[in-house]
Order: sequence, then structure tokens, then C-alpha cells
Amino acid sequence: MEARVVNKGQLPELLDKLAKDYDLIAPVQEETVVLFRKISGAADAFLEYTNSDVSPKGCFLPQNEKTFNYTYTGDSIEINKPEGAQKAVLFGARPCDIKAITTLDPVFEGEKFGDEYYSGKRENTVIIGLSCTKVLSTCFCYAFEGGPCDGTGSDLLFTEIGDKYYVEVNTEKGKALADAYSQIFSSQGAEQLAKDKEELAKKLAGEFVRKVDLTGVKELLDNNFELPYWNGDDQKKCLGCGTCTYVCPTCHCFDIFDYPTGDFTGARLRCWDSCMYPEYTLMAGGHNPRPTRKERVRNRFMHKLKYHLDRYNMVGCVGCGRCVRKCPVNIDITKIINDLKEVAQNA
Amino acid sequence: MMDVIQQLREQAKKLLEEKKVTLVIGFGQGTELARTTPVFIDSPEGVSALTWGPFCANNLAKYLTDYKNAEGNVAVVVKGCDARSVIRLLDDNQISRDKVVVIGVPCPGQLEWQKVAAEVKPGASLKETADNGESFSVKTDAGDYSFNKKDYMLHRCLVCENPNPVISDITIGKELPVKTYEERFAEVSELEQKSTEDKSAYWDKQFSRCLRCYACRNVCSVCTCQICVFDQMLPMWVSKRTNLSENTMFHITRAFHVAGRCVDCGECDRVCPMDIPLRKLNQKIHKDLGDLFDSPTPGSKPGIPSALGEFSPGDPEEFM
Repeated sequence: MEARVVNKGQLPELLDKLAKDYDLIAPVQEETVVLFRKISGAADAFLEYTNSDVSPKGCFLPQNEKTFNYTYTGDSIEINKPEGAQKAVLFGARPCDIKAITTLDPVFEGEKFGDEYYSGKRENTVIIGLSCTKVLSTCFCYAFEGGPCDGTGSDLLFTEIGDKYYVEVNTEKGKALADAYSQIFSSQGAEQLAKDKEELAKKLAGEFVRKVDLTGVKELLDNNFELPYWNGDDQKKCLGCGTCTYVCPTCHCFDIFDYPTGDFTGARLRCWDSCMYPEYTLMAGGHNPRPTRKERVRNRFMHKLKYHLDRYNMVGCVGCGRCVRKCPVNIDITKIINDLKEVAQNA
Repeated sequence: MMDVIQQLREQAKKLLEEKKVTLVIGFGQGTELARTTPVFIDSPEGVSALTWGPFCANNLAKYLTDYKNAEGNVAVVVKGCDARSVIRLLDDNQISRDKVVVIGVPCPGQLEWQKVAAEVKPGASLKETADNGESFSVKTDAGDYSFNKKDYMLHRCLVCENPNPVISDITIGKELPVKTYEERFAEVSELEQKSTEDKSAYWDKQFSRCLRCYACRNVCSVCTCQICVFDQMLPMWVSKRTNLSENTMFHITRAFHVAGRCVDCGECDRVCPMDIPLRKLNQKIHKDLGDLFDSPTPGSKPGIPSALGEFSPGDPEEFM
């Protein structure tokens, strides 16, 4: 694995250059909230965060995406697709969020259902990750073979060590970017920093406080759709809001509808949808496959812990802990995993 | 607060044993030290799950409408602000009085769990909490902490009108002194001073962040419509598209729909994942209700007519 070194003092220069050469998307702070936005230079970036309030999945699956504009011309309909994706860099995403993008890839880039909107952005975007320097009490990425300094899915991974960034070059795409800014990416001292990074990863691995063990959970869910567990408190306390799904880096459901802008013109949009909503997958004839909160809550956790595994052999959760932090009533996926494990053991 | 917890459990146990209720909705320890979570207890053995302290921010009155057609009666643990919701739900005929047992607990304020979590050693477990007037002490297995109310309490609690539940069948704990706060609407007054353009810019900035997760609506105890206008597909009044126009439409409609019924529990503000200061919208309405209609906070006593739900032929409004 190749590695480079970037002086922290040179980061603003790098970001300014990237913003000039690419669409640069990076974490920004708006009042108390940290989220990912297109920035115009280093001054806009906010890197002193541990876990952003909203994940960067919107880089590839925006909350609102125009798929085409339409105009009715009297005897036909004219369809205009938006321009293809711009060259972009996603900078400063955390390892859990990047791993989450790798769980979206098979959904949108599968052989059967390729999605040009997603893959266009994916192909044209270089992902530069930023290792965590802290572990929150709600973090549990380790449970899914991730880690605070794990580079899975990133093209380059920056790890802050003293006044330098140790940069792992994980893909050809990453290498090309590092080579293009070779005056900033040096190779001096990389060996020592590699050891320091290992130390940091080891230290952070010991800081997780949530014990999450998935043993037996998938097998239990495979054989028990109607588990009495789902009649418990979680479905009673769930308010049915979409917070967990919208802050989740792996949730990817969307709704498609037309948005008229005049009598004969409009756009076809796809926008995030949430399985917590009562109209989610509501049939035209009025049938609702998930009529109450019980089925909706069950669906969300079945999707994370079973369906995504069935389809793509990947757990649909990366342990970012956002839903745990943001749920208004403290529904906690780590508790659910551990409860299910117990149910499986007692079965 | 151990004595309050003890009494809570005893009273809940008695209610369930004597079959006066079939369900007790209360606070239980959450998965973070400084969080509680709603618990639904249907057997006397289950009451040990009940707890109380400065981490009970949720307004549990929200759940009463879920059980309005249930066979048995329901007991609910409420703070002062939550009790206003109970009154409002009764006045709106959303629940019937004989089906609800209100367990009121005078509340010295609630702490913001994120602020507490930032100070306490991760993974520590809670042993005990106590109210010391200006601060709360929080004892954990990893040491003792003190959190002064001024800096760590939820903003809404700093100007609390009703520390004592305004409706209660069983009151647990000592009644607390009631204070009036001249600065109750300080933030709204400050916003009012701004020019129209500045006010617009302020809210544009806030609303443009909205994810439209509807947590603010769903947590609201007086949002009781069976099918919300924002969930309707035919016609689709507001689309799933998030942009400033649609988001603004949602927030203004929401605020006005609860005008005169909003009890100022501040839950919308607390649950917003994007930290949009939603309570300010409702507080502006509360301020106007006071100034224009001499109307107290909805729910602060039974039978207050809803300012926007009443018509009087003697209304001095010029355009009528």
C-alpha cells in the first residue's frame, strides 16, 4: 500500500486547489449542525467534528434529484435529462460513512438495475476519508468490521497525527489525485506515521463502550418473521417520524413523482422516502403492506439486519450511531441487536 | 430523587394490582446514561422499570391518543408542561377523563442529554440524581458530577411556567415554587425587532436545513389529525421535495395549525435533528395570544377557549 504525508499547514492550500479543480464537498457547520455541502474553499470546511448530523450519502443519492424535465409540445413529450455528473471530491468523510457508501453500491450499481444517476456521480467522485480521532458513546462501527481508522471504500484516507496527515492511497483514483498535487503530497516520513496510525487505531478500538454482538441474529430473523419481540415497547414508543432513516448513511429508499412547473412542463423527481411513513409503499388500491408502526419498525430493522444481507451479503448498518443519537424516544439498534441475540439464545 | 422513584413504582403497582388501569406509561432508563425512554408497563411486576430524574424530557401525554379506544384505563406520568397537554387533549375531546389516570410529578427542570453526555465518562452507568436548587448532582459508577441548570438545562425549562402539574390524580413529590419570568419571550422579542428582510433571511436559513423527517409534527401532543395534510397523496398539497418553498409551507402550516392549542412543551424544538429553533415560531404565537387575546398558555388550566377556535360576536376585530 502506498502512503503519503501532508503537512496540516498545507491543508487549506489543498482544499482551495481542490475547490478550484473539482466540485468540492466537505463537512461544514451551520449553527450547531454539521453537514456536507459544496464548498468554495478551505475557509468553509469544518473538520473538528466526530460524526456529522447528516451523513454524506447525499453526494451520491441526493435528497432531491431531478431525473429529467418534460415538456408537452402538443403531439409529443420532450424529455430533457440533466447534464452528467461533474468531477467531484468528497473530502473529510468518516470511515463509517464511507463504508456506508459501499453498502449502497450494490443497490445502485448492480448488474440488473444499474442507476446512471448514482453511478455517474460515483465514478466522477474521489472520496477522501478522514480517520476519527475520538469515539462517541453511540459509536459501534467495530461491530461491522469497521473502525475509526478504516479505509474501506475510500480512495485516499487521511489520518491526523500531530501536525501531519498520514495519507493512505487506496485506489488508482486516489493515486492520480495525490500525484496531481505532488507538491502537497510528499512521501517523507510516511513509515513512522504508518506506525503512529496503527497505534492510534489500537487506542481508539479500546474506547468503544457499546457491546454489540450479532451472533445468531440473522438466523433468528430468517426463520421468524412474526417474532413476538416486535410487539414490544419499541413499536409502542416509535413516533413514526423519519429521523432515523434520513440521518442513516445506508438507508436509500426513494419516491418518484412528477413536479409540474406549468401546465405543460415539469420535472420528474426522486426524493428520499422513509419506511417509517404511513404512505410508504401504500398501494394505489388502498392496501398498505405495513399498516401499523409495528410492521414499519420491524421492516427497518429487518432491512438492516437481514434483507440487505440476503441481497448483497452486507449488513445494512455501519454503526455510525446517528439513529441512536437522534431518535426522539431512544429506540436503539444496539439494544435491539442484543435483545434479538438473547431471544435467539433462549429459543 | 430516589424517594420519588420509589413512590412512583408503588403507586403504579397499586394502580395495576387494583386493576384501575391496564397500562402505565412512564419513563425508564434509556441506553445512554443521561437519557430515559418511554416504558409501557402492563403488569405489577414491571414497575421496577420506572424511573424519574432530570433526564425525563419526553412528553408522554403524546401517547394517550394511541390508547383512547383501548379497553382498559391508562395511567401516564407527566411533568408540569406535559400536564398542559393532558388538559388540552381533554378540552379537544381527544381523550376521555375517566379513561386516564394522571400521575403528576413536580419537575425541577430537565437537562439536555447531549450536554451531559459530553461531560460524563462514556459507558458510565447512573446511580442517583438529586436536585440542589441551582444545579443537579448526578452520581455514576465512574464518579460524581454536578450540572448547573443555567448551562445544562433544556432552554424551555429556564422559563418554566408550570413546574407543578396543572392536572393530576396522584401527585408524587413536593410541590415546587412557581416563578414568573419576565424574559419568557426575550428571544421572540429580539427577533421581532429585526426588519422583515432580516426575519425572512433568518427563517430561510433555518428552514432550508429541514429534512422533513416530521419529528416535530409526530412528537407534538396536539397534532392529533388522523391523516395529516402532509401525508396526503391525493391531492399532494406538499410534495416530498425538500426546498425552501416546500419546507416553509410545512413549518408555517404546522405552527398555525397548533396555534391556540400548542401548550409550549417545546418537544418540537428538542427533537429536531437539524436544530431548527421551532419553539420560537410557536412562542411568537403565544406572545401574540397573550398580547391580543389576553389568553394564557393553552392547557395551563381546564376550559380555556382556544383563541383561534372560538367566535364571539363582540369581537372588536375591525375587519369582521
